[in-house]
Amino acid sequence: MPSGLKLVDRDASSVLFRSAAGPVGPGAFLAAAARLAACLPDRPFVNACADRLLAAVGIAASLLRGQVSLIPGEPGAATIAALAARHPGAHLLFDGEGPAPGTLPATRVSLPAGMDEAASGIPALPADLPAMIVFTSGTTGTPVGTTKSWGELVARSRAAAARFGLGGATVVATVPAGHMYGLETSVLLPLHAPVTVRCGTPLYPADVAAALADAGPGTVLVTTPLQLRAALRGARPGPAPSRVISATAPLDPALAAEAEAVWGTQVFEILGATEVGSIASRRTVAGPAWRLYDGLAFRDDAEGVLVEAPHAAPRRFGDLVRRDPDGRHFELVGRPQDLVKLGGRRASLAGLAHAVCGIGGVEDAVFVAPADLAREPASRLAALVVAPGHDAASLADAMRRIIDPVFLPRPLVLLDRLPRNALGKLPRADLLAILDRHLAARAPAREGAR
Amino acid sequence: MVALVGSKPASSFDDASSDGAPSSAGGSSLEREIAGLLVEVLRLEVTADGIDPEAPLFGEGLGLDSIDALEIALMISQRYAVSIRSDDPRNQEIFASLRNLAAYVGANRPQPG
Repeated sequence: MPSGLKLVDRDASSVLFRSAAGPVGPGAFLAAAARLAACLPDRPFVNACADRLLAAVGIAASLLRGQVSLIPGEPGAATIAALAARHPGAHLLFDGEGPAPGTLPATRVSLPAGMDEAASGIPALPADLPAMIVFTSGTTGTPVGTTKSWGELVARSRAAAARFGLGGATVVATVPAGHMYGLETSVLLPLHAPVTVRCGTPLYPADVAAALADAGPGTVLVTTPLQLRAALRGARPGPAPSRVISATAPLDPALAAEAEAVWGTQVFEILGATEVGSIASRRTVAGPAWRLYDGLAFRDDAEGVLVEAPHAAPRRFGDLVRRDPDGRHFELVGRPQDLVKLGGRRASLAGLAHAVCGIGGVEDAVFVAPADLAREPASRLAALVVAPGHDAASLADAMRRIIDPVFLPRPLVLLDRLPRNALGKLPRADLLAILDRHLAARAPAREGAR
Repeated sequence: MVALVGSKPASSFDDASSDGAPSSAGGSSLEREIAGLLVEVLRLEVTADGIDPEAPLFGEGLGLDSIDALEIALMISQRYAVSIRSDDPRNQEIFASLRNLAAYVGANRPQPG
């Protein structure tokens, strides 16, 4: 019978988390998890903890009870209310000082007194134990869950640690603890990799600068292209991170080069998806090719590409890949795609257009991803709409009620008809030409405002 | 702790410079300047003059979101050397309207000379 994988596999003297209340080592962490587990029911747990340490304690307590944690894997995927509706028997774990969100039975996760109490032993859990279900937005709006086993999560932490050589580093993450990227890199990672995670979620450039200053030497900034740009260009001079890891959207190599030059650092990216987890990395300035994490492999089937990983079922990897003969290096095949990602949220351009066409008074619509979407992290979608009964303001109001705000178009162009060709298709070149003319016509008005 | 309420002028932010004070015509030159920057940086469809200085910036009104908040923080840091911290209890007021934002910038920007 397999002996199982330790809940925490670190030196007893190491620091897993640096919280506001002080450093938390393996003994204190396990004691906190055991104490929480002792007062929990045997239910699946919706984990709504925003703090990295408390989220980890909640997940560990759930594991100690042999239960699964239910977690929104990406922004907009699932609200607490939606998860509660799908899992009416679940118990909510939350943190902070406010009341519990939603109506599930709930337990507040907080740091117990006597944190330096040593645990009596390190529990080991079966590799095939379902550890968490992470949710993504389904195409119909219903959240879709992907179950991840304990073995899968541990193996992936170890693969990341091996890939990035993070020994002794302090992780400063700007991304939320509850989405898959932040979960992997700042909640689960310190349980099996020799890193210390600094709690807190710095948002603005001044927050990031303060966090890096406070974290001391040897930091890894775990962030996104949008936040990297803001931190790099907006902060007062302060300590640079020793390394930068970016994910959730492609990082413009020019921005990576700027960060490397200004900060004297190395900038890496992680490629992944909520369902399949992190699977590959690259040093952005070295070129577009990704290298699969050790232990993972691609496999082809009739529908496309699957990723095989330890202790995990093969999972579809949605993007197209062009692989090197070694099977380890690959590039994403760039082409106009229907699926876009903004602010960490995925959407279908066709789906957005379909939703807008359901608004009263709208006859036709198309959403267009701008050409600079990869280079410009704050880019928005554009939309061309035929809506005789609307002006831009009334249409924008109507849209705000039915689509995620991040996808609200800028610009929103009203037309008498869309440039459909003889086949009814909308050639991208014609759409971009209309947008260019629209922006050129607006420019003199903006100039006058200076 | 300073509280900005509704449409009161930003007299409670101590501000020695002239461009933070509302002009007699309503709206200051700093307000108009920041309006222009918002339109440019956030690629908004409205003109700078079309932004109601007292309308909400987020959610309704101008309809900005958290991506815009980060871009605004970056813009005022680069342009005015004014920082926004996410733990600042004044943030909800600072971001409540263009007028509030301009008043905050005017009161906190380093003075020349």
